[in-house]
Amino acid sequence: MGIKIVKREGGSLKDRLYIPAIFGGMKTTLRHFITNISDTSKVKTFSYPEVQPSDITSRYRGIHRLTKREDGSIRCVACFMCATACPAECIFIEAKEREDGVDEKMPEIFTIDVLECVFCGGCVEACPCDAIRMDTGIFSFVALKREDFVLTKERLLSHEAKKETL
Amino acid sequence: MNAILVSVVVVNCVLALLFSLGAAPILVWIERRVAGLIQDRLGPNRCHIKGFRLGGLIQSFADMLKLVFKEDFQAKSIKQSFFFSLAPVIVFASAFLTFMVMPFADHLVIGEQTFRMQGLPIDLGILWFLAFAGLSVYGIMIGGWASNNKYSLLGSMRSAAQVISYEAAMGLSLVSILITYGSIDLVSIVNFQGNTVFGILPSWGIVLQPLAGLIFIVTAFAEANRTPFDIAEGESEIVGGFHTEYSAMRFGLFFVGEYVAMSASSALIVTLFLGGYHLPYFNTQILHQHMNLFLMAVMVFVPLMSLFFARWIRRNNRFSAQVDIRNRESKVLLKVLAGVNVLIVVGLALFLIMGLGETGVHIATAVIQVATFAVKLLLMNFVFVWVRWTLPRFRYDQLQDLGWKVLMPLAIMNIFITATVVVVFGV
Ligand code: SF4
Ligand code: SF4
Repeated sequence: MGIKIVKREGGSLKDRLYIPAIFGGMKTTLRHFITNISDTSKVKTFSYPEVQPSDITSRYRGIHRLTKREDGSIRCVACFMCATACPAECIFIEAKEREDGVDEKMPEIFTIDVLECVFCGGCVEACPCDAIRMDTGIFSFVALKREDFVLTKERLLSHEAKKETL
Repeated sequence: MNAILVSVVVVNCVLALLFSLGAAPILVWIERRVAGLIQDRLGPNRCHIKGFRLGGLIQSFADMLKLVFKEDFQAKSIKQSFFFSLAPVIVFASAFLTFMVMPFADHLVIGEQTFRMQGLPIDLGILWFLAFAGLSVYGIMIGGWASNNKYSLLGSMRSAAQVISYEAAMGLSLVSILITYGSIDLVSIVNFQGNTVFGILPSWGIVLQPLAGLIFIVTAFAEANRTPFDIAEGESEIVGGFHTEYSAMRFGLFFVGEYVAMSASSALIVTLFLGGYHLPYFNTQILHQHMNLFLMAVMVFVPLMSLFFARWIRRNNRFSAQVDIRNRESKVLLKVLAGVNVLIVVGLALFLIMGLGETGVHIATAVIQVATFAVKLLLMNFVFVWVRWTLPRFRYDQLQDLGWKVLMPLAIMNIFITATVVVVFGV
């Protein structure tokens, strides 16, 4: 093993003059400027509210949804696993007895306060019945009042999984 | 006092205001759009009045309005209320006053009278610039000190350190060009640059004194507090620096002052090194003689440029939503552009047919020179913005090294060379 001598850059006169490097940098920025101004469609960004992103995958953690069984009824059995796992403690469940014989328990109330939610996905991991998922692909969620951010059971059931476009 | 005198003075004041204060929103707009385009994004392009976005220019006016109507907050810990309010005024006023001596055109001769085309018709020129440009740093220092805030104080300390590093080099680089031009009056300096050297190159300052030009441009960047020398701010290190405690219009004055100072620095660079209001190869006398030819050239050139611009508008000035009031803009703009072209061409044709007369020729020359100056000013301001979005910020000891160990010896050497050449060859 010999000693490898790494050559230090920046010692030559050309480097220490700075000027060539500065002009090189300015050439680069000017090139970007000229290409972009002569044809603004070359700009890499898109105009957001009008053009929506198309690259949201199914693994993206968006707003939650409660899944349904084959017969269309709620899958959740009100086991409180998700509420226990939630680090933000923003899931509120009230259980009731399930009368239709499909299962024993179901939630009477199931709300998620998305203002408190940190979108960690812990609830999805914790659920033993695959009853809660975050695959709706909803990344922008706005409302006018704080109360509107507290999603009810009905609202959560109404969310659908994002359709795979990619 | 007579009508001509009054109107020329008014025109000068309006021009000075337009180039400095009126330029501020435009410069902010240029800054943001150019920054965006350099970084492969678009920059502000949504704000509109009845669908007119003017490429995002409306955003600057919206921002100004916002600054005016914001709460003017002052922290309780600020004891020196008077100095706290005084600081932005100093920065703004000194930036503004520096601009006042920039000549927009050669002496205008109307009948018997001669007018200086400057905001303030005085011939102190460079001295005036140095005096007021040096003053603006007091505003920053007072502001930072009166804010009673560590970050502000650090910012103003840094700007004090900055001043002592560039002022010497700046002054010395000016000495060598003063030797070359033999005058401190900016008008005679510009007229000196109207000639040619060796019959090919325009005798602009940058051709005669490239080294002094380079030093002056570098120090002018420091003087205007612009990147790479905006060490008085430094968001990543000392928050906003000297203006951390400021809000609303008091901050607005700092903000506008920065752009006016930048415009003033560009104006001085243009005046000293880039031929001022002269078109290359066309000094005032030549313009006087060949005015008709020149007007014809303008008649051809303006529609050509407009055609180019119209094509650009049609291709690029679109809004991404199909149904939007902002999509109307391009059609109206194209019509306005066509209208302006017709006006210019018809007007110039009328002038050509009727003949301008001596006064007319003089006024036309002044108009052309003002336009030339405006274009050069805009280009130089663009360079300021362009550099800002290319280079990172210097550390302030690096700036001091640069100022004292590199720029100042170079400037002194340049003085000796210039002086020797002037003495030996007697030019
Ligand atoms: S994503 Fe995380 S924070 Fe949000 S509800 Fe689920 S567990 Fe709670
Ligand atoms: S969503 Fe899943 S974890 Fe939460 S209560 Fe229902 S079944 Fe249990």
